[in-house]
Amino acid sequence: MPIRSKTFNESYYEDIKLFRTIWIKFWAVIFVAALALLPYIGDPYFVYLVNLSCLATVAAVGLNILTGYTGLISLGHAAFVAIGAYTAANLANHLGTPFWINLPAAGLIAAVAGAIVGIPCLRLKGLYLAMITMSFGVMVEYVVITWEGLTGGVRGMSVPAISIMGYKLSTDERLYFFLIAITAMLLFAANNITRTRVGRAFVAIRDRDIAAEAIGVNLTYYKVLSFAISSFYAGVAGGLYAYTMRHIHPDHFTLLLSIQYITMIIVGGMGSIVGSIFGAVFIVVAPEFIKLFAQSSARVFPVLEGRYDEEWNIAAFGLLIILFLIFEPGGLYSIWNRIKIGFKNWPFTY
Amino acid sequence: MRRHRVWTGKLALVVMLSLLTASWVFADARGVTKDGIKLGLVLVKTGPVAALGLPNGQGMVDYMSYLNEQGGINGRKVEVIWEDDQFEAPKSVAAVKKLIHRDKVLSILTTGGTQQTIANLEQINEFKITNIPNALVREFFDPLQPYIFAMGATYEAQYQCIVDYIVDELKMKDPRIGVVYEKKEYGKISLDAIKERAAKYNIPVVAELVLPTGSVDASSQIMALQKENANIVITCTLLPATITFLKSGQKYNYWPTVFGFNWATDDMIVKACDEGAKNYIGVNFVGAWSDETPGIKLARDLAKKNNREVGLTSLYINGVGVSWLFGEAMKRAGKDLSPESLKTALETLKNYETGGVFPPVNYSSTSHAPGEMVKFFKADVPNKRLVSISDWRKPKELK
Repeated sequence: MPIRSKTFNESYYEDIKLFRTIWIKFWAVIFVAALALLPYIGDPYFVYLVNLSCLATVAAVGLNILTGYTGLISLGHAAFVAIGAYTAANLANHLGTPFWINLPAAGLIAAVAGAIVGIPCLRLKGLYLAMITMSFGVMVEYVVITWEGLTGGVRGMSVPAISIMGYKLSTDERLYFFLIAITAMLLFAANNITRTRVGRAFVAIRDRDIAAEAIGVNLTYYKVLSFAISSFYAGVAGGLYAYTMRHIHPDHFTLLLSIQYITMIIVGGMGSIVGSIFGAVFIVVAPEFIKLFAQSSARVFPVLEGRYDEEWNIAAFGLLIILFLIFEPGGLYSIWNRIKIGFKNWPFTY
Repeated sequence: MRRHRVWTGKLALVVMLSLLTASWVFADARGVTKDGIKLGLVLVKTGPVAALGLPNGQGMVDYMSYLNEQGGINGRKVEVIWEDDQFEAPKSVAAVKKLIHRDKVLSILTTGGTQQTIANLEQINEFKITNIPNALVREFFDPLQPYIFAMGATYEAQYQCIVDYIVDELKMKDPRIGVVYEKKEYGKISLDAIKERAAKYNIPVVAELVLPTGSVDASSQIMALQKENANIVITCTLLPATITFLKSGQKYNYWPTVFGFNWATDDMIVKACDEGAKNYIGVNFVGAWSDETPGIKLARDLAKKNNREVGLTSLYINGVGVSWLFGEAMKRAGKDLSPESLKTALETLKNYETGGVFPPVNYSSTSHAPGEMVKFFKADVPNKRLVSISDWRKPKELK
């Protein structure tokens, strides 16, 4: 009789289950409980950082589907976020439609734009694709600035607070649960996409597109689909951003934002949903830790007293990307996996 | 026995309520203790526009240190906590939250530029954050925003003054205005203001050309202006683009009279362009670094004392001025300093003089509008500086 290990699987279904062990379920419950308590324990600043992390997570997951799973690089992700943000803002301001129409609409319009960009990009890879998507970002920025009737141009646009049966989500604490719920839903959906036929087709294209085509993967369809799904996530993130910041402006959606999203998935882990969360949270929260570290270091090394400024963050981000690319290309997710396996196999090393 | 217990309970309740009331009555206001005042500052320190935020913030910090050396505000020392927003609205919102909830500052000297302040508007009202934003747009004082005090002439007023100056002082026979602007909020507002004012004087605006901040060459704009025979060029661009324009003009031997607004009216323009700035006339709502007024002398002394290598002197002066107004308001608020009393104290400033740093300052409970006054400055090329060529003036009343 074989001795079953803790994660012994007898079927493919068991292998792809989301909650495979009792411990995963246990920690998931603890995590949800911690999230539910957070606004009552943390101060509003901390809650705001969590809200920002949610927005970044949704956008980063979208980019990870395109870049991490399908292997198509994009430097125009911020443009899709902008399309989503302005769609939600216009619908809310001009048609007065509720958020449950505006947010999906933001995602869908961005998805259509993504599919349109995806079609001419079918034959492109690497640097050429990066250039095309970057150019698309510049075009969107130009349209946002010049089409004043639709976007408010350089004056920006105000957005009303989300209202649920008359209850306005106008504070960070009120928005918190809403953002957590939407982010969880989108993460669940993304996780499912990656476990299905579609997700496996994406991975096959990433690993070797010619081989994928040879085994029957329709490259045109799946590449465009990947662009559309990725842009849908970016669009919803944009809509959420509009409702969170309550004012949007062309300066909020520049090339720098696209680069930040790329950083998130590199640091978090390409081709991993959990990695997107790690990366997004890390990039949003890391400056706080760097500041804390700098201030603590100043107590030990007085020469550092008062020397900290935000340039440290920029330098630290640069250094982190270099270190991750050289020593940990799998990102934070890879480290997390090793720790998990270490615990699982303890006291054995493998 | 039971009666005794009831009385004891009642007494305990009264004592507890008294203690609670006392703690509420004698509690320190946010950011104010017996011997200290905490103020926040949200201003760009790093990133592409750090050159603008750094001197501005340093001016604010240095003036507060100066007040501390003078004995503080009613015996309280001022501490300024400066958060960098990198000129990004989400970071500015985060910085304001940190300052209010973690550092518990009395108020925030400035919450940054237009976008940042708009993004923070709800917090400003909710937490009564009296502040002077680094923005010159009407929506911050018209209609009245209770905790925002506008300082510095709006873009509209600055360009109205420039067109008035062209008519009244230059007295050219056939003025032909070319406008070089940036597709940013200030550029668009300024362009509209110029066109409207020029139309009132029947002066033709012969060209409207875009010049982005990052431009390193303005040849095409210069050639377009030459083609239209523009003898006056009004720039609505920040300092770097204005420098690019003046240098390109020199290269093509094109010498119109060039006007610029406050963000481009700084000694740096003469230092960078040298002879190229000889026809430059700028407006600003702060005095020039070379002025011998008491406020400007103090600003120079503070910069020297704090070893500041001030790049953009006009912004350092602006920073000193903002802290000056806050310092005065905190003094006027007296011992009972609180977010509300600070606001009320600022509203008492009537024709308040800052020794030539700002024009006379007037606020009231019904208006937090700026004075709309500017001075004109001309390049003094041999001494590499700008010198004032007018006193404070407002746009003329036109029908």
